[in-house]
Amino acid sequence: MAKTILTVDDSGSLRQMVAFSLKAAGYDVVQAVDGQDGLNKAKEKTVDLVLTDQNMPVMDGLTLITNLRTLASYQRVPILMLTTESSDEMKAKGKAAGANGWLVKPFDPKRLIEVVQKVIGA
Amino acid sequence: MKTLPIEELRELLAAVSRHGDWHLLEIETDLQQTAFLLNEAIEKLSASFMTVYAQLMEQQAAVQLLVEAGKLQPEEMQQLQVFQDNIGQEVNKVVTGMQFQDMTNQLLQRTINRVHGLKDLLHELSSHQFPMAADDEHEEIRRFIMQLNQNFDQGSQHLTGNLRKSVNQQDLASGDIDLF
Repeated sequence: MAKTILTVDDSGSLRQMVAFSLKAAGYDVVQAVDGQDGLNKAKEKTVDLVLTDQNMPVMDGLTLITNLRTLASYQRVPILMLTTESSDEMKAKGKAAGANGWLVKPFDPKRLIEVVQKVIGA
Repeated sequence: MKTLPIEELRELLAAVSRHGDWHLLEIETDLQQTAFLLNEAIEKLSASFMTVYAQLMEQQAAVQLLVEAGKLQPEEMQQLQVFQDNIGQEVNKVVTGMQFQDMTNQLLQRTINRVHGLKDLLHELSSHQFPMAADDEHEEIRRFIMQLNQNFDQGSQHLTGNLRKSVNQQDLASGDIDLF
């Protein structure tokens, strides 16, 4: 059974490119348009990996991670940030919030899939 | 020492505010139009890309049927594999390149927000509440200008504080990856 990845990004074109890359590699993808939407969808179904942007309206990525980590079902689910932010300060905040990794945009699909496979397997 | 007539000074400041406001409105309109055009462009590019990719997948499936039926020579199969690898590499480049809109949109929004902030600052010139009388002397007007400058400075700092730059990429090379 294919593993499910929740991707959270307010940019429609980015969501489309992420979903395209993940689906081509055989993963199921659930898409959310901001942190709050991501949190709601994560509660509906526990996914195998969360891939989230940082700067989004309504709820940002760090707040989403903090909220997810309070849920029993998301204590051990890997969460990766995929964002334009590249400062060490932001990465440290992500790590403190509970992120397992930080990918700076733009992403290369091949490298993205390699990371995802490393984190949750094929 | 006598100085500028106060009404003349008020009018001068209001004129600066009006001109600035007009130019900033033009900038804002152009930026919003640019953001709209980029958004429409990426939507059309994405849709076409998805269609092309779907067609490629169907073509590949058809070729696979030929391979399984043993209708292709080994050298033809080798050539097909080369084509397939090249297509895969180009698809990756397209996916990376098409992420430009996410970054340009963030930069445009930041610029639009700065323009809004500048408009508010300029508004200060024409809507100031400092009492000024026609017989104010040089010292009163100097204090007024200093107060105006101080307000500008505070407004400018507040504006900068609210406009943290989230995009520092200078090109579309793929970004760093850190696993914690």
